[in-house]
Amino acid sequence: MKLDDVRLLEPLPLRDREARNRVLFGPHETNLGWDRSLSERHLAYYERRAAGGAGVIVAEEASVHESDWPYERCPLASECGPGWRRLAQVAHRHGALALAAIGHTGGQGSSAYSQRPLWAPSGVPEVNTREMPKVMEPEDIDAVVRGFGEAAESAMRAGQDGVEINAGQNSVVRQFLSGLTNQRGDAYGTDRLRFAREVLHAVRAGAGGGLVGLRLSCDELAPWAGIVPDAAAEIAAQLVPWVDYLVVVRGGIFSVQATRPDGHDAPGFNFDLTAQIRAAVAGRVPVFAQGSIIEVRQAEWALGDDRCDGVEMTRAQIADPDLVNKAAAGQTERIRPCILCNQTCKVRDARNPLVTCVVEPGAGYETTEPDPSGVARHPVELTVVGAGVAGLECARVAAGRGHRVTVIDRATETGGMVRVAAQGSGRHQLAAIADWLTTECDRLGVTVELDREVTPTELGDDEHVVLATGSQPGVPTYEISDDAVVIGADEVLAAARTGTGVESLPPGPVVIWDPIGGPIAASVAELLAADGLDVTLVTPDLIVGTLLSRSGDLAPVNTRLAAAGVTFVKRAVVREARAVGVVVEDRFTGEQRELKTAALIDAGPRLPDEELWVAAGRRHPRAGDAVAPRTIYEAVLEGRRAALAVEGER
Amino acid sequence: MPGGQYRYLFSPLQLGPVTVANRIVFAAHLTNYAEHGMPSEQHAAYYAARAAGGAGLIITEEHSVHPTDWPYEKMIHGFRPEVLPGYQRITEVVHAHGVPIFAQINHNGGQASSMYTRLPVWGPSPVADPLFREVPKAIDHLEIAEMVAGYADVAARCKEGGFDGIELQCSHSSIVRGFLSRATNTRTDEYGGSLENRARLLHGIVAAVREAIGRDLALGVRLCGDELIEHGITIDETVEVAQAVEERGLVDYINTSIGVATASLFMIEASMHIPPEYAMFIPSALRKAVDLPVVGVGRFKDPLQAERALAQGHADLIGIVRGQIADAEFGAKARSGNHHDIRLCLSCNQECVGRMGLNRWLGCIENPVTGREAQPVALRPSAPKRVLVVGAGPAGLQAGIAAARAGHQVTIQERAEEAGGQVRWAARVPNRAEFGDLVRNQVHEAAAVGVELQLGIEVTAASVEAFAPDAVVVATGSVPARPWWAPPPLGGGGPAPGETAVIDATDVVTGRFAPQGRVIVIDEVGFHQATSVAELLADRGCSVEILSPAMVVGQDLGITLDMENWWLRASSKGIDQIPDSVIVGMDGGALQVLHHPTGVTTPKTADWVVLAVPGSPADELYFQLKARYGGTAVTVERIGDCVAPRRAHAAVIEGNRVGASL
Repeated sequence: MKLDDVRLLEPLPLRDREARNRVLFGPHETNLGWDRSLSERHLAYYERRAAGGAGVIVAEEASVHESDWPYERCPLASECGPGWRRLAQVAHRHGALALAAIGHTGGQGSSAYSQRPLWAPSGVPEVNTREMPKVMEPEDIDAVVRGFGEAAESAMRAGQDGVEINAGQNSVVRQFLSGLTNQRGDAYGTDRLRFAREVLHAVRAGAGGGLVGLRLSCDELAPWAGIVPDAAAEIAAQLVPWVDYLVVVRGGIFSVQATRPDGHDAPGFNFDLTAQIRAAVAGRVPVFAQGSIIEVRQAEWALGDDRCDGVEMTRAQIADPDLVNKAAAGQTERIRPCILCNQTCKVRDARNPLVTCVVEPGAGYETTEPDPSGVARHPVELTVVGAGVAGLECARVAAGRGHRVTVIDRATETGGMVRVAAQGSGRHQLAAIADWLTTECDRLGVTVELDREVTPTELGDDEHVVLATGSQPGVPTYEISDDAVVIGADEVLAAARTGTGVESLPPGPVVIWDPIGGPIAASVAELLAADGLDVTLVTPDLIVGTLLSRSGDLAPVNTRLAAAGVTFVKRAVVREARAVGVVVEDRFTGEQRELKTAALIDAGPRLPDEELWVAAGRRHPRAGDAVAPRTIYEAVLEGRRAALAVEGER
Repeated sequence: MPGGQYRYLFSPLQLGPVTVANRIVFAAHLTNYAEHGMPSEQHAAYYAARAAGGAGLIITEEHSVHPTDWPYEKMIHGFRPEVLPGYQRITEVVHAHGVPIFAQINHNGGQASSMYTRLPVWGPSPVADPLFREVPKAIDHLEIAEMVAGYADVAARCKEGGFDGIELQCSHSSIVRGFLSRATNTRTDEYGGSLENRARLLHGIVAAVREAIGRDLALGVRLCGDELIEHGITIDETVEVAQAVEERGLVDYINTSIGVATASLFMIEASMHIPPEYAMFIPSALRKAVDLPVVGVGRFKDPLQAERALAQGHADLIGIVRGQIADAEFGAKARSGNHHDIRLCLSCNQECVGRMGLNRWLGCIENPVTGREAQPVALRPSAPKRVLVVGAGPAGLQAGIAAARAGHQVTIQERAEEAGGQVRWAARVPNRAEFGDLVRNQVHEAAAVGVELQLGIEVTAASVEAFAPDAVVVATGSVPARPWWAPPPLGGGGPAPGETAVIDATDVVTGRFAPQGRVIVIDEVGFHQATSVAELLADRGCSVEILSPAMVVGQDLGITLDMENWWLRASSKGIDQIPDSVIVGMDGGALQVLHHPTGVTTPKTADWVVLAVPGSPADELYFQLKARYGGTAVTVERIGDCVAPRRAHAAVIEGNRVGASL
């Protein structure tokens, strides 16, 4: 893409300020703090994105009032002053605008940390926690409104360029705007915009000459009582006199996951909505589009035809902090792609995981994980066995540091298991990381030898070797009779690559055994059901896809599978695979029954492929699934570390 | 005689070089009090309170021995030398009460994720844990040696930190048990196969640790008596292992446990649905097989029960954890003959166990001080006030207790003839009777601190005015709410013939109505309400279905470890559970049930529909009083369900906070 084609890079006037480009790094939970202030880790994380070219950095949202403590590490505005100050300094040093996101999650919060009642417009329990909030009394409303104003004032005092008010998917402002959550009989119910107006007045007053942005949920995806696009257009038009920019998002109490969905929602899902809102405010303020915008060309598409004036690219800049700089240098193909997996960047989870990225595990770990760039003092010859993600990342980093690297794989193409997993329904974006790593290795002069087996004797004593040989099928935990058809989930996915997914299976119904509850079994089920197969998914858990709650796909995947007609057998374990059936046992009653099926698809855990490692004397360093079969994240992390360890070897 | 009726409980015992004054052990348990991997001031205050309260021995929560072991965020990183000042602080404050304290050290092995470490999880074999579901790296001999060295290193640090002994957690969540168990050890080297091989790691660690600490410190091993999983360890093997441990002469006592923390946790920290002493067979079998002192654990909640276990020879010491979480003075009260003053644990698991799994600090449903021991205690007021508390549910009772402790003159007025509010009803259903101890404990404590409890009094704004209080605390609870689709509440006469009766769950537990025939229970709360009523009715012969809009009926039962047993009981009682279902109307007696994942609505009929739905705050009196006393010197507060209907812990915490701060 040529530089002058890129609208993204045009400056964007915002009131009396100017963003150097149209790319916003949006507010999101990070868990990078320990208490409720902004930490050194926060600072390093944001600084990295500012240095990479982001136009506007909006920091993690801070609660404006102590009645709001939605997750343990959620910043509190009254404790963010020093952090905001330093953040503004580093953002400005790199040429970015710095904004403080401020909000209150109302009934969508948690009482676990404050041990006080939740505050909400009405007594509507949150959908998942079912916790009944306190109906806010007038003095509570005043306190929160005042909190917004004070937070804005404090952010400006700290040198921020302004604030962004959250009226998005987790927000008391949205709760007041929506008929789903505002059933009040007083003036705040008869006029549902009243609270938002009071907040905006207070923030405008507090922010002085600073920017006031509004992140507004313009579709709660619950048309029976929620905010619908037409109503949102009205709301936006009414509120726009007090704001300097709008970010159009979707999502509400029934659809919090819809704001930042994974790869099952095609990018661009919010563009029409954004265009409608932008039309409603008639160019009075810049409008940002949000929602799975992960590539420069998607951003350009969004910016075309007056859909929006700027784009929020949050996950894309978690995956590659240098996204803007690379675009500016005309190297869009060098941008490390977000794969829309939501596996590690979504951190609204009781365990407080730190924000990071499966393809850029340095994200969130800027202060602790060594920077893989740089030049090795003593370049060596490095052989990497295995051209999956672990091997390719190892090769990429090592070659980037000046080592001479050869990658060898028995397969006829690079990418390993990722290309297989990418065949799963809604998982196609995964392949982008294999493509990117392959291209980067090529650019860096890595020699890739495919379709070649490595023998132990080849791995001489003095060579630098990393084994990234991946995994092999696990040991079945059930009996298999001689005439039973048992197929690995990977085999089904691999067959789907060649368009023979269904043909690879005997005709008839299939049973998928999923002792993990992650994306693999569910995506195979969806794939086969879409091909018209009769699919039954067996899980030991009370629910299907239990590990998908963090990525936000739990409710959606259950809905998709149910809609596709997949039968669930829950709380069960597979005991025996027979020619025409699978015997499953109820975990609680011990009752056994046979499910009629032509084939059992096993999506259980795999084992490391240790053959070469063992044969070569158990002494070579390994990375990724060869250590223990896990995910892309561990493969990238270990591949990278293995590359850096090459220099520490001698 | 010391100990009064508890002759065995209050007799001393020698554990190697350490003398314990009594047999009450505050056994190791997670607290989530660590900060950045370091022991905290809260740890020190928490353990000190139990030492002051009469425990014979305190064993800290586990300390990790190696950087590969960090399964939950707030774990003590014993492998980092900076823990030392924290160790010294803990042992100093506990020793001030003359009580010995041991450190538990551990590596959780495959029962972990790499989320915090970003390192491969270590285990005996690449067998994924049933909870974490991450395939571990099968550790090689170098790594085994490194880990054993970690045990020795941390043990030595504990010695330097002033601990009197070391306990090796080789039981419910440990790489040592991982090696001992065929379910997780598939190795073919000298660490796999025979029991002798599988125990090799255990003996290696014991030897290394003993070497590191010498003979001045006690050393204990905690063993799992039954993993309660397929191909798992059972008591016979554990007896053999204990004998082998004893034979080597390096260990001073054996502690016990049952279950696997990531597979059968519900049996480790059993809720009130599991009978007390359910794990007694383990210490009992071991005590017969070895001469070493043996610790028994498993829902020991009162001193009498512990005394009996000792007297009958099942164990030499009794681990009482939740009992001392609920009442730090458990031991002292028993010893002084005031056992009725003990705030008995309910085994509800709501704020202790329930918060652990959610990465929150440990608390207690009925002891608002638990988890806040390190916070300064509020001073008594200079001017005692005349306080009126309206409502004697858990919120009102706790407010009364806290206000009286703060020096105020407190009267609680309650409309009903009995104190306890909704807790009374919650305790009336099958196997939930112990929940009622909350009321017993509070009423007893209220009386002890001089609260005047007046029952059968209808409080109005006028009666409050006549009472002339300086402060009013409104704790009037909640009233059942009816969804928009439900017909008006049923009159006292019950349903007309052929009419589908729609009643509230409280109508069943209070006995107001007795549904028969086909019953649908609607669960929109997700806790014990719906499941309890369903069970009660199924026991009475009703055919029962539970519908819930959630993905699981009684979704929060998992938090309190009640889910597995609920499913077992529901299955045996024929209760059908239908999740993902929203009632979108009632049409000619039929519920219109929307299956929300598919969008299909189907009618469903029943003889009775029982609503377990959120209630509405009973807040009229509060708003009347607020209007009346606004701008005057009289303080008006409200607490508990009349603010927002929630669970009992919220009522107790709010009651305590408001009562203490009037």
